[in-house]
Amino acid sequence: MSLFNRKTSPAFWAALGILAIGTAVISLGIGRFPISPVKTGGILLSLGIPLSPFWEPREEAIVTLIRLPRILGAFGAGAGLSVAGAALQGIFRNPLVGPQIIGVSTGAGFGGALGIMIAGSTLSVIFSAFLFGLLAMLLVWGICHKGGKGSLLALILAGVVVSAFFTSLTSLLKYVADPYDKLPAIVMWLMGSFATVTYEKLALGLPAIVFPACLLYAVRFRINVLSLGEEEAESLGIHPLRTRWFILACVTLIASATVALAGIVGWVGLVIPHMARAFVGADHRHLLPASALLGGIYLLGIDNLARAGTAVEIPLGVITALIGAPFFALLLRSKQKKGGFE
Amino acid sequence: MLHTKVTALLGTLSLLLWGIPASGETVFTDQGGQEIVLSEPIQRAVTIPIPSASMFIAMDGGTSRLAGMHRLSKSAMKDFLLGRFFPEALDIRDDVVGEGFMPNVETLAALDPDIVFQWGSWGEDIITPIRNAGLRVALFQYGTQEYLEGWISMFGAVLGKEEKARTILDWHQNTRKKLEQEVAAIPQEERPRVLYLLRYAAGLQVSGRDTYNDFSIALAGGENAAREAAQFAEVNEEQLLLWDPEVILLNGFEKGVAPEDLYTNPKLASLSAVRNRRVYKMPLGGYRWDPPNQESPLMWQWLAMVLHPERFHWDLQKEMTEKYLYLYGKEPTHQDFEQIFQVAMNGDSLGYEKFLPQE
Repeated sequence: MSLFNRKTSPAFWAALGILAIGTAVISLGIGRFPISPVKTGGILLSLGIPLSPFWEPREEAIVTLIRLPRILGAFGAGAGLSVAGAALQGIFRNPLVGPQIIGVSTGAGFGGALGIMIAGSTLSVIFSAFLFGLLAMLLVWGICHKGGKGSLLALILAGVVVSAFFTSLTSLLKYVADPYDKLPAIVMWLMGSFATVTYEKLALGLPAIVFPACLLYAVRFRINVLSLGEEEAESLGIHPLRTRWFILACVTLIASATVALAGIVGWVGLVIPHMARAFVGADHRHLLPASALLGGIYLLGIDNLARAGTAVEIPLGVITALIGAPFFALLLRSKQKKGGFE
Repeated sequence: MLHTKVTALLGTLSLLLWGIPASGETVFTDQGGQEIVLSEPIQRAVTIPIPSASMFIAMDGGTSRLAGMHRLSKSAMKDFLLGRFFPEALDIRDDVVGEGFMPNVETLAALDPDIVFQWGSWGEDIITPIRNAGLRVALFQYGTQEYLEGWISMFGAVLGKEEKARTILDWHQNTRKKLEQEVAAIPQEERPRVLYLLRYAAGLQVSGRDTYNDFSIALAGGENAAREAAQFAEVNEEQLLLWDPEVILLNGFEKGVAPEDLYTNPKLASLSAVRNRRVYKMPLGGYRWDPPNQESPLMWQWLAMVLHPERFHWDLQKEMTEKYLYLYGKEPTHQDFEQIFQVAMNGDSLGYEKFLPQE
């Protein structure tokens, strides 16, 4: 178990926590509309304590109605995706696995597109994204679970199959969608963006990220054991199959919820766990919270760039991939020098 | 950029060329730069670009020579003015083209039109199959008043309606010239900041510089608030607040989106356009008024009246009745005007009483 013996100091956690809160607070002051840090601070404080406003109502609306929900959404989604990715990489003992690989994101993506097409209301989009995320998961289960074995390879292949299936269904939707009315909405949403996050969406989406993420943290020891291999797990009295599906269900919830909040945001769940592992090692007791904090900070930073970088909103998925892909390539190279992935 | 300029030039050149008769033949250059020779006016045509079907009908004053169109051309007619003016238009084939303007060549060949109008700016792949089927193709470019005028003269040439085309062109050019003169007299500080929202429901998309909306806004005496953005750009609410437009124009494409949606959005409550209730849904006449179309001069006038209620007092309804009679040979009713001006959505916006139809 030497793998899990790495020490993480309280100072490290304190620094990471302060960094997370600091990033969130600073993000409140960043945006296209210039608002002085003093005013931003005042508006923020006035949420908790009564304060006579020395700012314009417009500035308060920007900070509380536009920036704050978006910051909460970006942080929550980044944290959720990273925890989900870390858990998946653990139980599959495969560093190339992310929430997207098991087909849930594309399933949820199709569901959301269908919601836009049929009804268009926020609630229907979120609900439909959840529903089809779950359906994708069940399909993956149905394909690879036959015979009760369910090998890792079968599961990943099933994920690829289900993913491809839902991708073509989404293309079909785009094909029949009204190109003036529905199609731009679908395309924009699939590209991933926090621009349309509201408190209403957060109220539905955030609990569906936080709750399963807490469940994953609750089974952190089991993930540790599973990451050693199935035989070891069985010898330690853990039912590998049941545990794995429980974890997959949690991941499904998280992935569907982030898709419902912001469309498909790629690369975060794949890259961040590696970054976190470099800091705290492979012990999921530390890896899960570190991934959550780092993922939240990372996606928040990226979204700040997307919303405040230029007058024109930069698509989120473009930046995450532009940063994620080279980072992953570097990681791959450095790992190979050290003798490859275990 | 150079390409656009060259084609723009060709478009303008085609304007000059189409009228020159050579022993009964009609010769014109399309917007792909290609010379087309017709020995006689065409009898059957297919239009693939979406706004071109309604323009074809307007130029011909009827539907008998239109053999096929895009299914979305039809969707702007069904339940709208053109569908009521020409109910038979709803029976015209709309299965000649698929996604991405890819022609359905066998259907096209079966229809055997004398000419097919296609986009020239979407690559060769959507053009070559039509040519391979032995059909004649004329190409369109999109986005400027000059291209639009090129369409009008091309339709005039192929339909043998040169006279009508010339009249419509004169109307477009004279209205433009007159407006330019009148607007030149408006001091800079009296020109409101105007924002055209191409999308509102699914993320905000605005028309920046180099768009037809930018051109229309300037022509009607406004300042495009989104000039710093190029073409059609995604922005966020904060950027909107920063630009703080005094007038917002809502696109005619998103069916359910109305000024009320902006008036009730707490995030946008501080916008000048929202506080002064100056958000307007774009009208929809013989075609949507946002993109360049045969009725564009009416749109410029409408917009000038919206932007400068104190300055411009035309009798737009009278003008429209006159033009519709000339274009379509039909007279719009009271209900038609209500729908064209989107009265149900715009009724509560500032100064819109003057567009309420009178009996």
